[in-house]
Order: sequence, then structure tokens, then C-alpha cells
Amino acid sequence: MSYKITELTFLKYFAERYGIPVPGYIAGEAEIREIKKALEKWGGKAIVKPDVIATGRKKAGAIVEVKNIHDALREIKRISSLEIKGKMPRSAYLTEKISAEHEMYAAITYSTDSLSPAITISLKGGVDVESIPEEEKATIPIDIFAGLDAYQASDILVKLSCPKAVISPLSKVMVSFWDLFISTGMESAEINPLRITPDGKPYACDFKGVIDGANYKSKVPGVEFPEYPESFSELEEEMNTWDSASHQGQAYVSDLGGRKILPILFGGGASTIITETLVSAGGDPMFLSDFGGNPPYERMLGTARICFKHKLMDAKLLLILGGKANNTFIDVTFKAIADALISYAEEKGPVNIPVVIGRGGPKLVKGIVVIKQALEYLKMPYVIFGPDTPVTMVAEYAAELANAVENF
Amino acid sequence: MRASKLSGLLKKGDRVAVSNITGREASEVSAVSQKYCGNIVGGWALGRGGQKIETLKGSIPVYATFDELLKVTPRERHPNKILIYSPPEAVYGEVKEVVKHGARIVETVFIITEHVSIEVTAKIHKICSEKNIDVIGCNTLGIVNSYDMVRIGAVGGEAPENTFKPGSVTVISNSGNMANTISSYLLSAGIGTVFGISTGKDRLILTPLKDFLKLAETDDKTRVIVLYIEPGGTYEHNAIDMMKKEGFSKPLVVYVAGEIAERYGVSLGHAGSVVEGDKSRALSKKKAFDGYFGTEPFLSGRRYGKKGEAPTAPVKGIRVNVLHDIPAAVTLVMNTLGLKKDFSRSKPIRLNPWFVNLGEIGKRLPADLALPPGVIPEPFSSHLKDRMQNLLKGMIRQPMRDASHASSNDGATPRIYGYSLLELMKKRSFIASLILYWTGDLPGDDFEERIAEMTLIAALTNGPGTISAQGAKLSTSAGNTPNTAMIATLASIGDIHGGNGAKAVRYLLRYFGEQGPESPYDKRVNIRLIAEKAASDFKLKKQQAKDAGTEYERIPCLGHPVFKNNPVNYDPREQEIYEFIKNEGRVNIFLEFYHGLARALKNDGVTRNVLAVNIDAAIACIWLGICWPKLREKRMTVKRAMDIPFISFALGRAAGGAGEFLDHQDFGTEMDMRVPVSECRALSSPRKIGQKGYMNKA
Repeated sequence: MSYKITELTFLKYFAERYGIPVPGYIAGEAEIREIKKALEKWGGKAIVKPDVIATGRKKAGAIVEVKNIHDALREIKRISSLEIKGKMPRSAYLTEKISAEHEMYAAITYSTDSLSPAITISLKGGVDVESIPEEEKATIPIDIFAGLDAYQASDILVKLSCPKAVISPLSKVMVSFWDLFISTGMESAEINPLRITPDGKPYACDFKGVIDGANYKSKVPGVEFPEYPESFSELEEEMNTWDSASHQGQAYVSDLGGRKILPILFGGGASTIITETLVSAGGDPMFLSDFGGNPPYERMLGTARICFKHKLMDAKLLLILGGKANNTFIDVTFKAIADALISYAEEKGPVNIPVVIGRGGPKLVKGIVVIKQALEYLKMPYVIFGPDTPVTMVAEYAAELANAVENF
Repeated sequence: MRASKLSGLLKKGDRVAVSNITGREASEVSAVSQKYCGNIVGGWALGRGGQKIETLKGSIPVYATFDELLKVTPRERHPNKILIYSPPEAVYGEVKEVVKHGARIVETVFIITEHVSIEVTAKIHKICSEKNIDVIGCNTLGIVNSYDMVRIGAVGGEAPENTFKPGSVTVISNSGNMANTISSYLLSAGIGTVFGISTGKDRLILTPLKDFLKLAETDDKTRVIVLYIEPGGTYEHNAIDMMKKEGFSKPLVVYVAGEIAERYGVSLGHAGSVVEGDKSRALSKKKAFDGYFGTEPFLSGRRYGKKGEAPTAPVKGIRVNVLHDIPAAVTLVMNTLGLKKDFSRSKPIRLNPWFVNLGEIGKRLPADLALPPGVIPEPFSSHLKDRMQNLLKGMIRQPMRDASHASSNDGATPRIYGYSLLELMKKRSFIASLILYWTGDLPGDDFEERIAEMTLIAALTNGPGTISAQGAKLSTSAGNTPNTAMIATLASIGDIHGGNGAKAVRYLLRYFGEQGPESPYDKRVNIRLIAEKAASDFKLKKQQAKDAGTEYERIPCLGHPVFKNNPVNYDPREQEIYEFIKNEGRVNIFLEFYHGLARALKNDGVTRNVLAVNIDAAIACIWLGICWPKLREKRMTVKRAMDIPFISFALGRAAGGAGEFLDHQDFGTEMDMRVPVSECRALSSPRKIGQKGYMNKA
């Protein structure tokens, strides 16, 4: 699990600690007199922003300049309840408005070219990095052990024809940016824009980053990363909790809003291909799932129960499909699915939808016998394929069958 | 890269060492690899030095550290390939140790582990490339070399030889599962493989695609390369740039997954598929390959012409949009190059259902959807037939009024779990047939048969004073029939007398878990540690209960009312069983655990003496041993495993009760079980009835 870092978290926990100059800020929930005081200190002007993990905040009208306390309070209220691309902000906050001579872009991430961290800098900040022409940005790999030194940052800035007066303070900011990146176990981080005032002072005026949850440094002492309201479905919500309870086997779903096929799929690659085939063939899958990674019985039982609880009632067809597994035990996973199906039927009554199965891998025969017996007991119609029929053909067949059954 | 061709990554004669080899997955995969190619020279796992991983091709030694492995292993067997199976947080340390001690020996490190942090991955890349060590992964599933019949990792599952047969194609896949799956489709179409490669699918793939392609180009046997690609990274664009710039002599067949998933805005469940930037997106990768090939994606059924005609036959290769078109596209490419298929026998790729039961809906479906059952290929067909015969292995709940797995009678032959009763009468003992009836399978060997019989004999009696013998005697004394006397015996056993075995099984499962050691007779299991843990758990619970002034759960089957006063106590019946096992050169891990526990409780100061492991414990341990493989593989319920020791005791004791009946009936005097009035003690004083009550109302 990774943690997304917004500007507010950056301002609150990291900017000062790592010596990155930032504008003044104040939380929207602060007392009115404190907000007033901040506005006075900032010359009466401020920017109101939502604390949300979503792109396109500006286009959505969620970043606005205010010039007095009344506007500020009104905008704080409006923006903190403004949904942006389906995401609700946690809150709104104000930052000091920084007048700029230049706007820059800086990002550190792991490069799949150099297989190391790399820093990208452009003097054309404030826009999406992909819209900056190649010749106006520069990327250099960073030695993972040696880190980024000021002279390296300076070299890039010179190459980009950065005004000499600001090279020194900017290089210092870049080194601090690296320190933040590597000390907190980030996998990517972006300062955009980095504003430079007419008197040559740099300010990081927005920030986004991702901390690698697999990195021990992600447990930053004294820092509690905020949770953001997510538009997870009930299935996703429950499965996410279940998934994070153990590292044994995958328990991943992503709700697609489909109405026909309930897909219990195995293997990251196979589940993607199967889902794509189902979509193309009109199978209208309810979600994308990946339950591979050799889950033990209890893990798979819980996973199947969650899927059935949320979706089986509305499904037109149950699809249990995966490629030829290398190390997932088919008997264990199929027994767990069969048991979950039987408990569901015992609790909720008979399930009268067809089941299509396709799988290969260790202990396949035993797994097929178990699930076949369960389906016969439940009197559910079924078609079972082995590893000699490609998963994509099985998926196409399942989609056609689901459509035919729906029209009965 | 250190390797200059694919065989530089893995070939016959390479020697593999496995980190964390005693882990659940590592030990299972290593056992299969050893059976397949025997290339593992050893493994290491912290704190597990001295253990062995047993395989069909001999045992794999386990050392405490990689350094120790190198010191003990003869120089000519020093590993040149390393397989890392350690947990994510240990991976960096393992690689550092390999680099420190094995820099001059090790050529390639394969990292299977998922969820390694990206920072550690970058550090591994740095320290390994400085020492000229190639790294495959992280999150790879390994490599298989079909010609040399060797593998490292888990590619090919439990039988790599069934999927990877020598041929013309090298499969390079971001997904380990797809390396296996695509190779099996190719094989069905008569096309074999040279290498099956799982590149790993974390965001940083430490051997990028362009490097794999260079190695494949110099590999003589590889004629065609099949790529399975997922979103994430710029590896494909870099590879295409390399091929364009330097030229590339071998054709590719490419499948790129993930475009629709991207459209839905979902990640693909793997870290590697985090989409960053246009180049890393599936659509961009598809376009780049189409641009390189100079032809549209493969269309099944289309006629492909020669160069100059449209559409052209692919020279550089072709991309497929549908996974199951890969074999047809490879065939097209091979035809273009004038290459023959590797095997003359091939099956058409089609829907081949193994089992169909569409019931009522089948009648309403169009013919192309109401599929008839196809042909199940070997070896699955024979395996399925065998498996169907043993119904216990697919236990499900169903109405059982007129059905039984345990017995059957077709009017001619009564059977127990499919075995003819008549054959059993001729060829097997009573106890073997009993084991069959209770567990669904005949005993594993003579040892199990003998030891189970000992538990029945031990249960027959513990003298006439036992409650159960008294039950039989009371019933006889009243003039009852033999069956009533036997029922009285059975009615006189219960949770406290005789039934403790079920509790013992539950207690043992707490420490051995249902997925514990593979064999209950495995001498390598470190019983002492488990027993010490159990003793310290008990000590803590007892102390907590004392502090709270509450009752605490006793350890079942430990201690005996008679055998209790010596510094070290034994139940002689249990000792007989224990000694028999020892004399046979075997162990029963559960019984060893009980003895270890009795000692550990004494050492911890919980008990004054070493308590006797009583006969109930022995019975529970023996029967749990017999049930263990089925329990572990989920072929038996825990409830059944708990009931069997009790049933075993009950059966022995009921027979013992019959013995008491016969004796008492022949030699007892009438009403001799009655306790004379003079011997009975009154524990309450005489009291008078008053005048109240409806009888006095009149």
C-alpha cells in the first residue's frame, strides 16, 4: 500500500523539517480571528485550496484567490464540500499568494530507463509535465547511495539557461527535495509550481508525492498520514480491508459497475486479459479481480464469501477463471470457493445461474472434482474447461452464455 | 550484462542456492525443481541451519547463512545462481550477503519476492551491477530452459516438463503465469519453447526487455520471440529504439495487456502496472510495436501475402490483439521464415469443455453455446478417473439419507469406501479395514496398522475398577444381555473418562496447525521449540488466571491419577507404544511434543514432577498421525480427526466391557453389585412432612 501525499500534508509535516521554502498556510478549520490574522500578515490576499487527491482542481474551480475574510470564509465552506472528479475533499486550506517572476517544475521519481532515482527539472512550471517540450526539461539519474548534490542540480539549471541569480537558492531547494524524497521512502514526488519571486526567493507552491508503503521509512515518526474519502464501493471497501489483513495471496478487486458476470479471476496478467475479453465480448463484468498468489484455504474462503455476499444475488453468470498456475494450489482455492458457494446457498437459498470454470496448475484434478461435486449438489448448471482451452476463449464463451441466459 | 546469451542466465550444470528455503513456498518449489532437474546445491535460512529439505531426488542441505553454505559446500559445487525467496524486508540483507561473500562466484540473482520497496530494488541494482552480477526481478517467477531441462524458480508449476518441451520459441513475459500459459498454448499448436522467462513485474524490472532481446538474438535455438507485456515503464519503447537503431534479426509476436483496464482507470493489482507517462501506457506500447513491425495487428482468418502485397506477411513480427491468436501468429511468422513446426502432432486451439452439465438451460441454448463434453487430454483423464473413485477427497454437504461414502452394496458386493469387503476379508486385517472405514483410506504402511492396533489393545481395560468396567458389571449384575452390558460400558465413558483424546487433538492442532509439517513422522521437525512455546503459553495463562482468580484450561491428557509421584512419571501403556515407535526407528511428532511439553513444564517450574503422558494422549497422537496427511490436505474435517481417537477408545473399551460381562455373568453372585445398606452413608438428617398438600385438604 502506498500513501499519497498532498500539499497540505507536505506543508504540515515535511516542508519545514527538510528546509523547503513554502508560502504561509492556515487550515480552513482554524478560528476566524486566526484566519484574519493570517490574511493581514499576507497583505490581505490568499489562495483557497481543497485537500483532496484528485487532478484538475483548478479546472473544477476549486483553487481560487480571495482578498478579504468574507470571501475567504465563503470559499473555504464551498470548496471543502466541492466534489472533484468523484472525490470529496477532506477540508480546505489557505496559502499565502506568492508573486512570481518565474515558475519552475521539479520532480523526483524512479526511472525505468536508468533503474535509479532521477530528477526532472524544467523552467516551464505550473503546467502538466507531459505538455512541456522535451528540449525544455532535463532529467538526470541520481546515484541511490550518493544522492543528489548541489553541483548536479546547478549543472541542470545551467543547461536549462536558468538565470544565474537564482541557481544557488534553487540548487539548495533541489538538495532538500532529494533529502525529503529519500528520507521518507517516497517513490515519486513533484513540486509544481516552484515559484521564484522577483527578489529571487524560491517557494514550493504545490506538492504531490507517493510514499512507498513497502519501504520501512514510510512509518515516519510522529506523522499520521490522513485518510482521504474514497469513492470505493462496499465490495471494494470490504475487500481492501481483507486484502491488507494478510500478505498471503492477492485479494484485489476493482468495481467496474457491470451487471452480468461475477468473475473470480486468478493471476495479475490473466485477470487483466480475461476482464478485457469480457468487456469486448459484452460480458459486462461486475469487477476486475486478482485472487492469485497461492492463497491458503481460509484466505480464499474469505475472499469468495465477500464477492458472493456483494454480487452473487445480481449476477447472471459465475466465472471462475485463470491461466495455468505455477504455484497456486487449485484444489485449495476451488475447495474454498465451493465451500463459500455452499454456505451462501444454505443461507440465502438456491442460486440458479450457470457457472463457467477454466483453470490449470498444481492439483488441478482434485480441484475440479471438488468444485464439480459442489455444483452438482447445488444443482447449478456448469461448464468446466481445462488448461488446453485458452482463457480468452473461455471468457468469450462465458460472455455469450451470460447474454443468452439473460434473454431467457 | 554479464550474460551474453540466454543460456548465460540458466543452463545445465548451473548450481542454485535458495534463500529462506524452509519457507512454505520456497520448500515446495525447491522440491519440484529438484525432482525436475536437481540443480539446487543448498539453501539457507536464519536459525534453520542443519535442517534438510527432503525431495524425491535426495535431500537439500539447509545452512544458517549464505557464508556458511559457501564454507561447507565443496568448491566445485559452489552456487553460481541464487534464488531469493526471503520476505520483503529481508531481501536487501540477503543480496548484500550474496554480494559480499559470492561476488566472484555468483553470476545471476533471481528475486522471487513481491513487495520489495522500490528504493531497495534500486540499491540491489546498483550493488549487483558494480560486481557484474545480473539480477532478474524483483517479483519474477524464474526461468526455465527447455532444451537443458533446468529451471530456477516456479515457472512450469509442479510439472515443467509437461509445458516446456524443446522447440523454437522463447517466451518473455511480465507475468509468470502467462509465461506458463502461453507456452502451453504454443505446445498444443505443435510449437515448443527454448526458454520461458518471467521478467518480474515490479515497477523497476532489473533486467530490462532490451537486454533480454539481445540475449535471445544471440541464442541459436531461438527462432521466434513471444512477448507478453503489461503497462508500466518505458522498457518496450527502449527495446524498440534499440532494435531500430541496431537492427534486430529475430521476429517477435507481441501481446500487450491492460488497455481496457487503463480506460476504466484501475490499476492491475500489481505494483509494476502503475501507469506513469504516455510511454508506459498499453496503447502507446501497442502503437510502438505496430510501428516497428510496419503491419497491422494479426487478424485470425486473414490471408497474408508476401512482401509487396497487402497485407504483408510479417518479417519483423506481428502484434496480436487476442491472446489465443498467439499460436496462429507464431505459425504465420514461422511459415514466412520457412520454418517447420516443432511437432507434427498438434491440436486445434478450440473450446474443449471437460465437463458439461447445463441442465434445463442447456435445452434452451443455441447449439453453439450448449456445448457437448469434449475430450479430456492425458494425463488429466486418467487422474480424474482415479480421483472420482475416491469420493471422500471431494467432501461436500448433501442429503445423506440414502447415500454413503463409507459403505455401499450393489446387491453383490458390500464395499467400504469402494474396497470390496470380501477382498478385505481375504487380504487385510481387521484394524486395516477399520482404518479404512474411519478415514477413507487403507493405512499407509504396516507401521501404522500395528500402532493403531496397539491403541485398541491398550483401550481394552485398565482393571475392573474403572468406571467403564463398573458400568458393564452393574448391568450384568442386574441380569442384562451382553449388548446392554456393552452399552452400559459405553454409557460410562465421556468427556472426562476416555474422551480426552478429542481435546488433545484440538490442543495439538493449535500448535501444529493444519498446514504444519508434511509428515507426522518427520524427525526434522523441531519439537523442542514447539513444546517450549506451549509450556510458556500455559505458564502465562495459568498465572493470569491465578491473578484474576478464575479457572484456566488444563492441558488435556497430561498426568495420571495413579502414575504421579515419581520425579519423572510414565503411563506404562503409553510407554509401550512410545518404545515401539522408537524401536521401529520412527517418531510420532505429536507424542514427542507431549513428552517435550511434560519436561518443559517441569523445567519452567509449572509442575513439581515431570507429568505422565497418559494413554489418552498416546491414542490421540497415533490417530492424529494416521489422519494427518488428509487433514493437512483438507481431505478430512477437523471434527472427524477429533472424534476418531475417542471412537478408538470407545471401541476397545466396549470390547473390554464385553469381557467383564462374560466373566461377571459366569462367576458373579446375584445382585452382587449392590452396596449393602450398612455401607451407605447418610449425608442429610431425617425430616418430617407437614400438613400442607392437596391430599390433606379433604
